[in-house]
Amino acid sequence: MSNSALEVQGLSKSYGEKSVLKDLSFTAALNDFSVICGKPGNGKSVLVRTIMGLEDVDSGQIIVRGQDVTDADSGSRNIGYIPQSFALYPHFSVRENIEYPLDLIKASKEVKAEAVSRVSELLKITDLLEKKPVQLSGGQKQRVAIARGLSKSTDVYVLDDPLVGLDFKLRERLIEDLRLTQEQLKVAFVYITSDPLEALQLAKTVLILADGKIVQQGSLADVYDTPSSLPSMTTLGFPEANVVPGQIMDSIFTSQIFSATVDVGTGHSSAIAGIRPEGISVGKHPGTISIDAKLTLLENLGSEFAAYLDIKGNQFVTVVSRTDLEGIKLLESKDLTLSIKPEAITLFDAVTMKKIGKGVSRV
Amino acid sequence: MSPVYDINLENVTKSFGSLNAVDDITFTIPKSSVTVLLGPSGCGKTTLMRMIAGLESPTAGNIYFDDIEVTRVPTKRRNLGMVFQYPVIYRGTSVKRNLELPLLSEKLSSEEISKRVHDVADLLGISGDLNKMVEELDNGTRQKIAVGRAIARQPQIILFDEPITNIDITAKLELKRSLKEVFSRLSQTIVYVTHDQTEAMTLADQIALMQDGVITQCAPPKEIYEKPKSQFAGWFLGNPGINFIEKEQISQTGTGITSSLFSQTLEAGSMASKVKALGVRAEAIEVNTKQSPHSRAARVVRKSLGIGGQYLLDLEYGSLKVKARVSHQLGREIGENVWTTVNSTDIIMFDENGVAI
Repeated sequence: MSNSALEVQGLSKSYGEKSVLKDLSFTAALNDFSVICGKPGNGKSVLVRTIMGLEDVDSGQIIVRGQDVTDADSGSRNIGYIPQSFALYPHFSVRENIEYPLDLIKASKEVKAEAVSRVSELLKITDLLEKKPVQLSGGQKQRVAIARGLSKSTDVYVLDDPLVGLDFKLRERLIEDLRLTQEQLKVAFVYITSDPLEALQLAKTVLILADGKIVQQGSLADVYDTPSSLPSMTTLGFPEANVVPGQIMDSIFTSQIFSATVDVGTGHSSAIAGIRPEGISVGKHPGTISIDAKLTLLENLGSEFAAYLDIKGNQFVTVVSRTDLEGIKLLESKDLTLSIKPEAITLFDAVTMKKIGKGVSRV
Repeated sequence: MSPVYDINLENVTKSFGSLNAVDDITFTIPKSSVTVLLGPSGCGKTTLMRMIAGLESPTAGNIYFDDIEVTRVPTKRRNLGMVFQYPVIYRGTSVKRNLELPLLSEKLSSEEISKRVHDVADLLGISGDLNKMVEELDNGTRQKIAVGRAIARQPQIILFDEPITNIDITAKLELKRSLKEVFSRLSQTIVYVTHDQTEAMTLADQIALMQDGVITQCAPPKEIYEKPKSQFAGWFLGNPGINFIEKEQISQTGTGITSSLFSQTLEAGSMASKVKALGVRAEAIEVNTKQSPHSRAARVVRKSLGIGGQYLLDLEYGSLKVKARVSHQLGREIGENVWTTVNSTDIIMFDENGVAI
């Protein structure tokens, strides 16, 4: 018997010829903030709908608190749900909106009152309870929607990309709220997003969704530092990791733009090098691989700049901190020299996309 | 080419019922540069732009292009180009035709029309798409066509209303690159509305930050980020916004200010008694794993990853909490102690109204 809060085993789902979920498995624990991160079009919404019981599965199992609920109807799964679009009932007050999921399960007055006071304190909306949605700002509406999702007292919650499309500053605040909420409730949060920055900011455990499967699951730092496959590396991280195809022969990786000594097992010829933006710096530095690049866009992120570069037709990106005055100075010119740290290069098999080795440090 | 104008706003107000969406703004948008109107939803930025465009009339005040009053002049006589959130293009025709159409009413020779179409396409990097039907293109490229349509007539003023907001994530970067290139080549007066600070800081010559219908600060991106004139500006720019040390966490001794965040005494002179909050950027807090003579001890209570693999640490100094940005190598475990220092020049003092001193 598993002690996981939510467990998905071998889940598959096709629409006609199109296979969306392909033998997908993962577990999410209590007292954990699990973030499923995948690029658009990787089956996120279908996964949410099957977990919530809004869609049948072709094969596989969904297990909640050790109980197989694969064939159970949506209401009996007892999973809290915070949807992507936060349609509040306009004719209901904030309090009535929050109570609504409890009305559906015919909860008592006392249970409802307790739930409303619990979630409204958590999300700091106690002074809004008697207002109508039309009187609220966008951020307040979304906080009410989250509160409504949390009002059903349970220990597993699915959050379906709840911050998508919201203002920048609002997201910053809600990210903070959501982290605090999960920490206080000590429940299982399963949060689905395609935004890598959201995943990086929210996750304790991260799960990479690519091509209808969970290709890697682990602590945020482990998945970030040691991606097991190319999709893991390019899905989690902002700006997105740089990708360079090439060939390996006699422990040398050769591509159109650089070569490097690598440590890989035998039997690999075609490979793809993945390099995170922080593995590259501007200027010449000892022990690194130097390449010439042309600056095509300098994006000002406030605390740092994302420098987008062209190297013989390949798109590259690196990050320069605002406090790195030497680096900032170099960015004044369109023609730059970049330094790639060999040890920052991760190599993946060009066919299986699995990790096969690393670059070897020159120092 | 026709002359380029400053846009002068004189006591411009726009009321909707009892709400002043734009509240008595007197301001000059300088010619031949890119001014971004930035602010949260409801700050009045779109209303202000619509009045410049003539799509909305001010309740009070006047608008001038240089010294020519245009307050009541209809949009089509203001010689403006406009780009909206959703690309305005003609479906069922080619890219080339889309770019030509606005020029047909301009009394230009066919050579001139052809030249302008090709110049604009070249500038936007869509020369290869000229004979394609617009339906074949992604919405980022369609927005480029809309930009091309706005600039081909060579109007003196070009207005952009959140042109990137609704573009597919995959096409956003390319559109941003293209706009940056266009802006660097054009000599027109450009006004650009967005709520996205990255877009604003990337594209602007100057950012006019708006809050509650007024412009609270107008400055180049670097200046507005590093020297916010208000707590609002410090909070709005940056992800996360600036850390605030509220008045309960600071002490005044004579002309000096102290707090548990740093060991030095800030010299505030005669303003010392007015200091009600301090602001420090997350990246200005220098974090070390070893104690040094002037460092302060803090406990790591939370951490998350961010841009370029940097860690954002939530640090606690007794009852004071701040966020610090550190390199990936420095990422510390929760519960551990670190030692931090802050340069006095990186600390901003605010008065009781949230105005920088």
